[in-house]
Amino acid sequence: MVSPYAWDVPGGVQAHVKDLAHHFLNEGHEVSVLAPALDEIAINEDFVVSAGRPVAIPYNGAVARVLFGPVAATRVRQWIARNEFDVMHLHEPAIPSLSLLACSIAEGPMVGTFHVAAPRQKVAFAIAPLLEPVIEKLRARIAVSEIARETLTIHLDTDAVVIPNGIDTSFFASAKVNPEWKREFTIGFLGRFSEPRKGLSVLMEAVPNLTRAIPNLRILIAGPGEGLEVMQSLNPNLRHRIVFLGRLSEEEKASFLKSVDLYVAPNTGGESFGIILAEAMAAGTAIVASDLPAFENVLGEGRYGLTFTNGDAIDLAKQIIKIAKEPKALAALREEAARGAMRFDWNAVGPEIMNVYLHAKGEAEKVTVGSEPRTWLRFLNREDKGDLS
Amino acid sequence: MSGFILGLLAILIFIWYLTFSANRLDRLHHRVETSWANLDSILQRRAALAGEIAHLKEVDPATNLLLTSAAHQAREAEISERSEAESGLSEALKLLRLESDIPEIYPEVFGELDSITDRLRTAIAIHQESVTATQKRREKLLIRAFRLAGRAPLPVTYPFEDDVL
Repeated sequence: MVSPYAWDVPGGVQAHVKDLAHHFLNEGHEVSVLAPALDEIAINEDFVVSAGRPVAIPYNGAVARVLFGPVAATRVRQWIARNEFDVMHLHEPAIPSLSLLACSIAEGPMVGTFHVAAPRQKVAFAIAPLLEPVIEKLRARIAVSEIARETLTIHLDTDAVVIPNGIDTSFFASAKVNPEWKREFTIGFLGRFSEPRKGLSVLMEAVPNLTRAIPNLRILIAGPGEGLEVMQSLNPNLRHRIVFLGRLSEEEKASFLKSVDLYVAPNTGGESFGIILAEAMAAGTAIVASDLPAFENVLGEGRYGLTFTNGDAIDLAKQIIKIAKEPKALAALREEAARGAMRFDWNAVGPEIMNVYLHAKGEAEKVTVGSEPRTWLRFLNREDKGDLS
Repeated sequence: MSGFILGLLAILIFIWYLTFSANRLDRLHHRVETSWANLDSILQRRAALAGEIAHLKEVDPATNLLLTSAAHQAREAEISERSEAESGLSEALKLLRLESDIPEIYPEVFGELDSITDRLRTAIAIHQESVTATQKRREKLLIRAFRLAGRAPLPVTYPFEDDVL
């Protein structure tokens, strides 16, 4: 597998790659992951191979750490030559990073997963003709959601099989409740909140309305970032209701999701899947999320969680207050959420991905480094093509 | 002199582009072969399973005949009629599934049928994608003008009705 983004920086794609690798390792397959890394020594998984230090560029409202260049290309070549893979799985091959590089170098059975959901972008249209010859080498494409698939169809004019991101539901379902996070009526928010598209400002705007209706309200904000700026935007009387938890470990995150009464995802856009929602569902948390198509999809059009009009703080407050006042509906919502999470479990998603691998793989074929053009070879050998049906 | 060099360069680039295009096309053809081989093997397995189902002792003679002939047709069909024959088999299987209680007696056989059907759906999508990509490439003027496709026949799509599955 190839990850386009730095392995030691947390992110949705990296987490997906990591879990998928673990899943297949547990099933007895051999897995090797090639990824950029900020610090090669910090990687403690032995199946990960570093491809060098990435560069940070802003992309799609977030900072993406990508890797390109001749050194990385050499590492990709070595990695492919050394391993003789049956199938190579490239994540986000349309992003100018390691996956695209690997795709252009390699020859053989390749599968690509497209995570990103972006609105029509002129840049993407401009580079599409350049990407096409590379992307068309992929035997099969996977999109993580209907929206990611649409993005793919619009920008690159190809279709894909939709397979959602996987999560380990039991890990979240069995997390311990932290009493410190359950004292009052707690609302949880998790994410790099300094990025505008994560929508924390929408939640902050709703705080005055919320405190009026729910006197014992507390808002827990987890994720890397500086909380000072957020605090300053708020009325001083309300500041004590907000707690910043900083970056959480995976275990802490699970118990965070399990402990809070309500998880709020006010993201304003750029979200392709919303893995955090699936995780919150697995933990049996009631959810209020913005009505992005990706979120609606995960939440089963309102069956497993509530939605509010994207960017509308008043509607957000209304939805939260409504559900907070009805403990019975809240409990029912939690139960439904846990049930809805099952379709994202690795035990459901893993076999589907393996199935696509099998489709991509021809008989006894290996991934190799593309060398001399095959046409010349064929011309010289006078090799005849079999019947094409 | 410099005009001559430029001309030579242009010709070289043009030749490079031709090889490049031929390469791409070759790869696409290979992709179609792989996806078709996969689809074909799954269809074959389904036909075999259908034959097995037809010979279960609870199946009445009429259904037996219907299934056996549908499976047989699906196996013998030419590539151009394959889709139609396979759809016939899909419908026959679906009929059995809905109208009788045999699936409850043999959960294993029908569980396998379900998993094959799932894989079939993916296989069709992947094959369809590779065929359309290839067809689109082969329409390009340059590729037709220089006959880069050689003697490889134009791949045909597999219009399996989704709703039948």
